[in-house]
Amino acid sequence: MKTTRKSLMLTAAAAIMFAGFNVQAKAEFPEKPVEMTVLFGGTAQTIGQLLADLMSKNLAEPVVAVSRTGGGGAVGYSHVQSTGADGYNIVWNSNSISTSHYRGNMPFNYEAFTPIARVSVETPALAVRSDAGWKSLEDMANAVKAGDKKLKVGISGNGSFTHLTSAALFDKMGIGDKIVYVPYGKGKAPVELLAKRVDAAVQWPGQFIPHQQSGDLSILCVTGKDRIPQLKDTPSCAEVGAGDLDITMWRGLAAPAGTPADVVAKLQAAAKAAIESGEFKSAADKIGFEAAYLPADEFGKLIASDDAVIGDLMGKLGLKK
Amino acid sequence: MDAFYSALGAISDPFTLLAIVAGSIIGIVFGSIPGLTFSMALALVLPLTFRFETGAAIGMLLGTYIGGMTGGSVSAILLGIPGTPSAAATVLDGYKMTRNGRAGLALGGAVLASGFGGIFSLLVMIVSVDMVARLAIQFGPVEIFALVLFGLSTICGLAEKSLIRGMIAGIIGLLLMTIGLDDMDGVARMTFGWTPLLQGVDLLVAMVGLFAVPQIMKTLIDYRTDSAFKLNASDIRSELPTRKQLRSSFWLMVRCSGLGTAIGSIPGTGGPIAAFLAYDHARRFSKKPERFGKGSLEGVMAPEASNNAVTGGAMIPLLSLGIPGDPATAVMLGGLLIHGLVPGPMLFTQNKPEVYLIYLAILVAYVAVVVFQYFGIRGFVKLLKIPPHLMAVGILIMCGVGTFAIRNSFLDIYMMVGVGLIGYLLTRARIPVTPIILGLVLGPTLEREFRTAMIMSEGNWSIFFSSISAIIFYLLTIGVIGFHVFSQIREAKTARRDNEQQQGAS
Repeated sequence: MKTTRKSLMLTAAAAIMFAGFNVQAKAEFPEKPVEMTVLFGGTAQTIGQLLADLMSKNLAEPVVAVSRTGGGGAVGYSHVQSTGADGYNIVWNSNSISTSHYRGNMPFNYEAFTPIARVSVETPALAVRSDAGWKSLEDMANAVKAGDKKLKVGISGNGSFTHLTSAALFDKMGIGDKIVYVPYGKGKAPVELLAKRVDAAVQWPGQFIPHQQSGDLSILCVTGKDRIPQLKDTPSCAEVGAGDLDITMWRGLAAPAGTPADVVAKLQAAAKAAIESGEFKSAADKIGFEAAYLPADEFGKLIASDDAVIGDLMGKLGLKK
Repeated sequence: MDAFYSALGAISDPFTLLAIVAGSIIGIVFGSIPGLTFSMALALVLPLTFRFETGAAIGMLLGTYIGGMTGGSVSAILLGIPGTPSAAATVLDGYKMTRNGRAGLALGGAVLASGFGGIFSLLVMIVSVDMVARLAIQFGPVEIFALVLFGLSTICGLAEKSLIRGMIAGIIGLLLMTIGLDDMDGVARMTFGWTPLLQGVDLLVAMVGLFAVPQIMKTLIDYRTDSAFKLNASDIRSELPTRKQLRSSFWLMVRCSGLGTAIGSIPGTGGPIAAFLAYDHARRFSKKPERFGKGSLEGVMAPEASNNAVTGGAMIPLLSLGIPGDPATAVMLGGLLIHGLVPGPMLFTQNKPEVYLIYLAILVAYVAVVVFQYFGIRGFVKLLKIPPHLMAVGILIMCGVGTFAIRNSFLDIYMMVGVGLIGYLLTRARIPVTPIILGLVLGPTLEREFRTAMIMSEGNWSIFFSSISAIIFYLLTIGVIGFHVFSQIREAKTARRDNEQQQGAS
């Protein structure tokens, strides 16, 4: 009896000691700077740098935004996927994880990463020239159906997110077979629309808004299920005849699969504080992102369901490898 | 006018001035070190500016952009390695001038031409931003394709003695650029299924490889064989251009600045094309074309005036349409947006004070850059007193660091070395490397615009002849190539006749 008690006490002491060590080890993440791989340049990079900056305030060590562009995101994803699952390498990701995978540019898919948090949402918009005389999505669809000319639509690249969005939209409107997609890089599609070389463009709202204010372009609808704060008077495509269309592009943070849950939780908390700060919200608004925090589990479900939708769409378009 | 005064007030804030000057210096430093570019400097400076006031933030970004554009000429002239892609044309004559012991003159000419080009483009922007923007968007895929094709014809002028060798080099450049992910269709090309290769050959990596590596190898080989090129310390003067030299090239600078502004204002073209076209133009219309390629001051001033005029030109579509023309202006766009300035047609009505502030900041940045670089010449030329073999090692290290820093990729360092070895072998085979750069710079644009035009016309070739300006560029291209081939045939004929006469006489 005595010995049992003694051994019990010893065990308890050991357990407490181990637990203590464990707590200490956990408390120490991060012991060195966390590297956040940024996959794209332009405004995505700007907002990524700001996010890293704000997250640094909530962690013992800084988060450093490191740009690894190229391959439509595949280069950066491959880099992060190949690093240790210890939370020191995270990626500023987006739906490009699915598009890159289905194009056959990466041998792994979203399951190679464990989600940390969703950060923002961007909703593509459809715009036409004001002098085209199309007041609504329906006007445009009817005109295309009645005419014998194909509609030229400016997008960001074949297989890009704006391409998939347009394809889904025009499919719902029943004019999917009367479209010519013209891919432009570097945000040139709005200019091509202004210069009358294309008839419509599907891009990010921020690229259209100044031209709508000046009266040159009109934005017909946005592709999410709801309206967006930047364009309160513009209907969602679903409201004006596009059935149940609901396509938005998310950006968020992820780490290699197998990263310990407590490390993920810490990063998630730092991200949450950064995203919900006034500074991030106002910067995101100005740049045309919508700050939209989601915790890791919900974000994971979203990634999986979007992956299925994107895979299906790309299959229909013959873009899937 | 109130808007102007409020901008004047904002710019005379000491912190804003300090930010512009600091940006200019950062830009010059990044621009002048081979491998580090101003696009990189801008990305590093951007987070700093998040918490600045609008004036200081935009001033610092503009200063960095402008400092970087002019700084690229320093290493182009002194080391024969362009600091930025836009300075590749400056190497041709600038480095020859250094070898002739006239580095100071070349640097002085370069910085004055840079300042001239920049301020010229600023004036064009102020006077006619709306008109230029409206004209520039008329340049669609067909017109840009034709313009780039014309740009490729300058290979003729760069091919030195043999047109065939120039073409070989140009085609190598075009082929190298196809490696990686194709932006339009999102498919991998020439990657053999290896994901890291999807990033392709970065222009800057290839440029550092082609210019720096062969030269470093040559320096070290020459050092071992003791036939090193030695520059007497007494030969290095910080000689500056005389007023007469400046006056005689005034109209050349005006023409090249005009060219640079025009090309800069067309989204998707940019500095390198402008610089090569300006160099070709200067050589073609020079009173002493034989001096080109051997150390002509005009051959330094023309591309420098032109590539700096691109800065003002590129600001036109950025501010009036919200379209970034190159990676550097894409970072600028982020900086403007985060401070609530939305480029586009409304900017000029809603944010008048900020627009004036941008104009003033460009002016201040150019003054700062010219002053720093002009008075820095005496310091820069002292670099030449370092023994070449020691310098070569230092350059190699900087190039390694710089190529890695572009996108944090080790593969890029191997790529630089690989491209450099190929470049060394090519120079041994007397194939010039500059046309490779031209192929690398112009290839992606040429291909993209061609394919976009074909998609728009649904495969109908007649679209390429649907625009007057495109046809003019085709004719110019044919003219340049025809002229070159014709004069080569004539040269060959006279050479043969002289030969026969000599044989007859002996």
